[in-house]
Amino acid sequence: MTPPLYIALRFLTHRKRALLLSLSGVVFGVAIFICTQAQTQGFTSYFINSTIGSNGALVVRSRFRPRYEPLMVSAKASKETVGRRAYFEGITNANEIMRVSRQFSDVVSCSPVLRGNVSARAGFENATVELYGIDPALHAQTTDILHQLVEGNFDDFRNNTSSIIIGSRLAETLQASIGDTVQLLAPNGEYWRFTVAAIARAGIGSIDSTRVYSHARIAQALLQHPSGTSIIIYKLRDPNCAPALAEHFEELFQHGATSWQDREESTLQLFLTLRMSVAITVSLIILLAGFGIFNVLTMSVLAKVKEIAILRSMGYRRFDISAIFLWQGALIAAAGSLLGCLLGALMTWGVSHIPIRLRGLLYTNYFLVTWDWRHYVFATLLAILAVFIASYVPARRAAELPPVVTIRGSR
Amino acid sequence: MNSEICLSCETIERYLGEEEERVHALRGVSLDIEAGSIHAVVGPSGCGKSTLLYVLGLLDLPDAGQVAIELEPVLHLSDDELAYRRNKFIGFIFQFHFLMEDFTAQENVMIPMRKLGQLSDSEMHQRASGLLESVGLGDKVRRLSRHLSGGEQQRVAIARALANDPKVILADEPTGNLDTANSERAFELLQTLVRQDRKALLLATHNPVIAEACDWIHEMRDGRITASHPRRGLGPTRN
Repeated sequence: MTPPLYIALRFLTHRKRALLLSLSGVVFGVAIFICTQAQTQGFTSYFINSTIGSNGALVVRSRFRPRYEPLMVSAKASKETVGRRAYFEGITNANEIMRVSRQFSDVVSCSPVLRGNVSARAGFENATVELYGIDPALHAQTTDILHQLVEGNFDDFRNNTSSIIIGSRLAETLQASIGDTVQLLAPNGEYWRFTVAAIARAGIGSIDSTRVYSHARIAQALLQHPSGTSIIIYKLRDPNCAPALAEHFEELFQHGATSWQDREESTLQLFLTLRMSVAITVSLIILLAGFGIFNVLTMSVLAKVKEIAILRSMGYRRFDISAIFLWQGALIAAAGSLLGCLLGALMTWGVSHIPIRLRGLLYTNYFLVTWDWRHYVFATLLAILAVFIASYVPARRAAELPPVVTIRGSR
Repeated sequence: MNSEICLSCETIERYLGEEEERVHALRGVSLDIEAGSIHAVVGPSGCGKSTLLYVLGLLDLPDAGQVAIELEPVLHLSDDELAYRRNKFIGFIFQFHFLMEDFTAQENVMIPMRKLGQLSDSEMHQRASGLLESVGLGDKVRRLSRHLSGGEQQRVAIARALANDPKVILADEPTGNLDTANSERAFELLQTLVRQDRKALLLATHNPVIAEACDWIHEMRDGRITASHPRRGLGPTRN
């Protein structure tokens, strides 16, 4: 143990009240940072996982006409923004697009979907629903639908073409349960009867309150759709590469392609804003803790002026003196971060057990949290930085104290 | 004169304060301290005794002149180098003992040793205990310094000044804060330790009894050494 560390330890442990004050600032700052980040990211991650699990990481949709720039344009037209694309509804060559896209290493699987809005009726209840005509096997591979089932059986749906899977909140609206009949209104005015084989909960309100899954061929006949596929949804190895792949697919297939990041941009921005707002608030708490340490160490320097002069008279260098105070800061930061991480984990665990009943944007019965080691590292780094800045000025001041002035002043 | 000079200064000039409050504290002071000798600096308050000790102890830098340790000039050295020499060659004793309150007697004595870093932890403990034993505090090594009496604290300060076995001990009115009995005891202790290990001791004092017991007495007035003479019967006066 170096002499400055030895002396710093002794100075710290002999000023217990000041030590507790400094330590508690860091501990609570770090713990609150970890806990709030775990919560805000918990909700964000849940939303991202749910939306990717239900709607895929990437969606290829309608074909568009390639845009050709005329060689000569009027002066006025040249200033205008590029004209919009002309889209054609549906995907006519879905099998070919899927065959080619499966060659990409990032693509795990893909599933064609025929999508349309229809009215649903069960008993005396009505609702407008979004019908998803799917290939059960491909859809099960591409989405989390198997894990989303809260009632019923996927095999019952797979083996019965006149069965459907409905969203959990839609089931509540229609007051429908497993085995009940739900009628869907075709564009020609006919009602088609389906049996509810399963109820799914994606966890996102907009999906659970409108989604109905049926077999693709049945949906095509009901919607009287010529192409049979309106979108292809993709499961990717790394969902973060979806924007780049979407751009590539657009060029390759001449079909619109949307990543989950673009699709959910507004919601994600909301979450990001919330996280940043919380992070700024908590960083201010850590900054305040740093300010507290600054005060404590400055007071310590003033209280230890005599000791500093003694040490200098015994041959301790200026660097040793500043090291004593920097060590005190480092010890507070280390102990505070460690205890803060433990308290943060405990608080996160506690928060994750607080019951809440969310049935809006997300579906959850408890606070959602994310256990991410990066929160702990970031909180620790933030605490170390704040404490270092807080210790540096008093440490420098201590080193610059002329010992003779103190010794003369003590006579 | 003894050729074994361990600390000396030559034509030291030192000003203290700023502008109108500026004082010429040392005016061309020269002094040689030999190993095994005890020097007393006497004079009225404010004559420059303490300032001379701080300059000789490398705690304060003069405005002109030179300080040499074992004939080697040192004032051109960096602050870190001066701190090293202070740690290794010089032991300080102050009037108000200046112990570290949060440390025990033994730990106080070990603080200079820790900085020098030449002994292992157990060797430092052993040496500190030995030094405290020699100043009569063998039974109080583990007592916090603030729980010791004034006389005991000054004895711990003496032991601490000897921690790194320095060549020179500079004592600024070491008995000024003690009663007569403790003063005599502390000075006798210093005398014994200095003589047996052939160290040099320079002390600033107002106490004529202590001054008369030193080998050399330097009288100071207005920043100058006006006279230097050996103890009665020891030798001729220096100029």
